[in-house]
Amino acid sequence: MEKFLLIVREDVQKIARLTKEEWNANIREMSDWVEELAQSGNYVSGEPLLTIGRYVSRDHVLSDGPFIEAKEAVSGFIMIKAENLNQAAAIAQTCPRVIRNELILEVRPVLVMDESVKPIMYVDK
Amino acid sequence: MINPIDKVQEETNHLYRSHYGKMVSWLLYFSSDIDLDTAEDIVQDSFANALLAWRNDGIPANPAGWIFTVCRNKALNKIKERKRTRGIGEEDFQSVDPEFSASVLDDQQLKLLFACAHPDLSPKTQVIITLKYVANLKVEAIASVFGMTIDGIDKVLVRARQKIRDEKILLAVPDLSTLKNRIPIVHKIIYLIYNEGYKSSWGKEILREELCEEALFMNKELLDSNIGNKETAALHALMLFNAARFKARFGPDGEMRDLEEQDRSLWNNDLIALGCEFLKQSRGETISTYHYEASIAYLHCREKHFQSTDWVSISNLYFRLLKINPNPFVELNYAIALYYAGEKQKAISILSELQQKPFLNQYYALNASLGKIYFLEGNYRVAKDFFLKTLKQTHFQAEKDFIQKMINKIDI
Repeated sequence: MEKFLLIVREDVQKIARLTKEEWNANIREMSDWVEELAQSGNYVSGEPLLTIGRYVSRDHVLSDGPFIEAKEAVSGFIMIKAENLNQAAAIAQTCPRVIRNELILEVRPVLVMDESVKPIMYVDK
Repeated sequence: MINPIDKVQEETNHLYRSHYGKMVSWLLYFSSDIDLDTAEDIVQDSFANALLAWRNDGIPANPAGWIFTVCRNKALNKIKERKRTRGIGEEDFQSVDPEFSASVLDDQQLKLLFACAHPDLSPKTQVIITLKYVANLKVEAIASVFGMTIDGIDKVLVRARQKIRDEKILLAVPDLSTLKNRIPIVHKIIYLIYNEGYKSSWGKEILREELCEEALFMNKELLDSNIGNKETAALHALMLFNAARFKARFGPDGEMRDLEEQDRSLWNNDLIALGCEFLKQSRGETISTYHYEASIAYLHCREKHFQSTDWVSISNLYFRLLKINPNPFVELNYAIALYYAGEKQKAISILSELQQKPFLNQYYALNASLGKIYFLEGNYRVAKDFFLKTLKQTHFQAEKDFIQKMINKIDI
């Protein structure tokens, strides 16, 4: 099995407005899903992110980067194991909050250095 | 006396359970002009016809053959109909893939199982289509297995059907090397089906036991074929050890009982002995997660009393399991084993760390375990806080009742 990073994107302004109980309910739902992934041997790790942060470039440190401005920003990450990219995407599709169209998961294979193969940026066929 | 009409219903239900997937895949082989939806419609129609006809005329001598013939005729009519509307030539009848019979697997059920283990599908989808085409469960039953709506299962099936069509999943029999690669996925499917049946949170339900039996049956077929391996044997041992405790997990009123409270005289010694046989057979060079889990289950099964459990060995096994399958849910079990093995501080610090992870903080089993440990330590105030938190984290009545019982113990 290979590793994949699921980057969670959603409307962070909306999350900031959630009550504690609503936020807990969201997390609980994700916990159930994560448990399901663990049971099938696909879960590695994952954390939600706070809606604050710093945006750093050479000349600036901005305290309200695009994660605050934009409607959609990264709100968490989940590392999974899957047979291939198709399965990783299929697993992402089973997320209950994806099904309800509340968030988007970007699925990215983790690059593994293999001595026998030159690392290439492969393009999906 | 059994009502003859019920007898017909019973016979068709039975046939459906044993033949639905086989008939669907047979129709797909029969003609390339029959697609999956059509094949499923034809089989379902044929079963409906059988029910009506048999109620009038009685059950025929060869019921499965009867339905096969009806399916075949319906398929032929369908093909002719299409030919009429499209005016296409004989190529529609190029039927029966000869490769089919040349496969290393001669059992149709196993072929379908390997077909469902397609690596592009999510494990959940693999399980759902296995329940549909190999275990031949109806959509309503599958929905109840997962606590999902029929609509939810249908959505999964629609997506899966697309894939089944595009990749000819039920049609193409994988070659030997593909089969070997798919064995771990097949194990996983069987294990997940078993666990769905075994989950104690659902309480006593007949369907649950059937799922466990189905998983054991599939795994046995795999063992008896030339394709099963040491992991298959380890998985078999694990399922048997757990099955041995099946009946003891609930009290006379259906209330949940944990390992400590179970009446061990209800454990099935025959199944435990059989499990030991398979555990012996599973010895080999590689040690899989199933080997560790089966060994842990064995250490529980062999003890007559909870107090004599060898928690040191169990915690060592969990430690090694964590090395090959690191995840917080295994860590939780590791910590519990450590606690009973006497390493209380280490156990509590692992549990507290897990509690700080957002995805685990709201997790029923973690808070229930923390509650139990503080209870055992005599810290009733903290224990009660955890139990109260836990009550909100499960929607299963059996689990709520179990927690309520613990709270009542504190309140007395």
